[in-house]
Amino acid sequence: MAERKIAKLEVKRDLCIGATPCVVAASTALELDGENKAVYKLKDGSKSSGPVDKSQLEDATLTDDVLLVSAQSCPVKAIFLYDEQGQQIYPE
Amino acid sequence: MGETRYLIIGGGISGTTAADTIRQQDAGGEITIVSGEPYRLYSRIMISKPHYFLGKVPPEQIWLKKEAWYTDKNIKLIAGKTAVKLEPNAKTVTLNDDTVLPYDKLLLAVGICARRWSAPGADKKGIHYVRTLEDFQGYQPASKTAKQGVVIGGGAIGFEMCELMRLAGLDTTLVIREPHYWDPVLDQTSGRLIEAALERGGVKIIRGQYVTEAYGGDSVEGLVLQDGRRLPCQMVSVGIGGFCPLDWLKDSGLKVNRGVVANEYLEASLPDIWTAGDAAEYFDPIYEEQLQFGSWSNAQNQGKVAGSNMAGQKQPYRLVTFYAVSGLGVSIAFIGNVNPPAPDSGKQVVSRGSFELNNHGRYIIKGSRIVGATLINRTVDVGPLTKLIEQRVDVSGKLQELADPKIDLKTLLPA
Repeated sequence: MAERKIAKLEVKRDLCIGATPCVVAASTALELDGENKAVYKLKDGSKSSGPVDKSQLEDATLTDDVLLVSAQSCPVKAIFLYDEQGQQIYPE
Repeated sequence: MGETRYLIIGGGISGTTAADTIRQQDAGGEITIVSGEPYRLYSRIMISKPHYFLGKVPPEQIWLKKEAWYTDKNIKLIAGKTAVKLEPNAKTVTLNDDTVLPYDKLLLAVGICARRWSAPGADKKGIHYVRTLEDFQGYQPASKTAKQGVVIGGGAIGFEMCELMRLAGLDTTLVIREPHYWDPVLDQTSGRLIEAALERGGVKIIRGQYVTEAYGGDSVEGLVLQDGRRLPCQMVSVGIGGFCPLDWLKDSGLKVNRGVVANEYLEASLPDIWTAGDAAEYFDPIYEEQLQFGSWSNAQNQGKVAGSNMAGQKQPYRLVTFYAVSGLGVSIAFIGNVNPPAPDSGKQVVSRGSFELNNHGRYIIKGSRIVGATLINRTVDVGPLTKLIEQRVDVSGKLQELADPKIDLKTLLPA
């Protein structure tokens, strides 16, 4: 993709319905928490819907493509991606 | 030899994901999608979610692909047309405008349609279904003027529509013909937990009743129940299940049951035909049964596998299916094969939680392993359960732990 690099990721918890395609698309990045909301898995062992810095993700090998596909797979567009300037990359 | 002609019947998430996957693997093939609805891909999920219903997200967020996506990917979309005939020997599909489309490889991703309620007056204005964007464009504005609403049917749609009607300020009554919510997929305790949440949310529930008639002029003014009770209402939402639109295949020789019958590679019974999504009745290698699932995640991932296989791969479809719905303070999740076990199936059900604890899990065991679960307010079990099912973990000696709500299911996973 994109010339614009992903710097921050966020699951909007009020939108997330726990449908899980994001988890299927990027299982090392995301899982569902006890409230059935998607959370990013962070390298300090914590989980958060964010916003989180991409550099905080537990799996350092995740590419922007995988993270974008994961966000795009959400049927309610609950995953927001931002670039280094804080500009929203997705949803477009 | 010319380029491969891929024809996809169905423009929903399954068909569109298949088209995208094929394009990633075959840059030159001709890809055509035929969609029965006159639009590009949209989120069917959003139409029954509060944020979209209440207009809290911009209406254009419903679109999951831009129009340019199809041209950029060189995918031809024929929208607003339906397939009426399959000739597998000639390898053609005929559309309702008599267009004949030849194919080399065909995908049937026709989805599921809302089952129509048939009773006197069922065609009156104000009686709505919840499946398509067109349906939404009917019930969303209707909810702004109606004062009293009735929801018919105790499943996912019924649950969501109860919440939406309450959010719209309607005096809301739910009519189910079963003795408890989502019977027989859920047991009584699970059903009662959902009912309690609905009642706390202000929904009146009438159990064990059919609606025999809708009365009024052109527009519905009320419903009559089996016992003669009359429920005045200006809006009705019907969620009584669905059917796959497969009539057009009946003379084709293709094996069709409730869905299109397929193997684990999503190959249908005739050469060069695949199926995916809600309409696929495929052999599932995890559960070792012929199954059909209706969920977004399932449709999307089957589209991916079918698309790949059409482009020349040979992958089985293998995913622990998950479906969740939540609202009014309750979460309902189905994992794996939750079909109610038949008495002779050799399956058993172990439960944990209770009505008093406000959570209830049911774990369906086949032989020595879990094949499915229904969870009310027990989302915490989703992660470990998915692994227990996928890894076919032997739980035969651990049924007591499974029944004990104090024991974390993670401890049942192999170290």
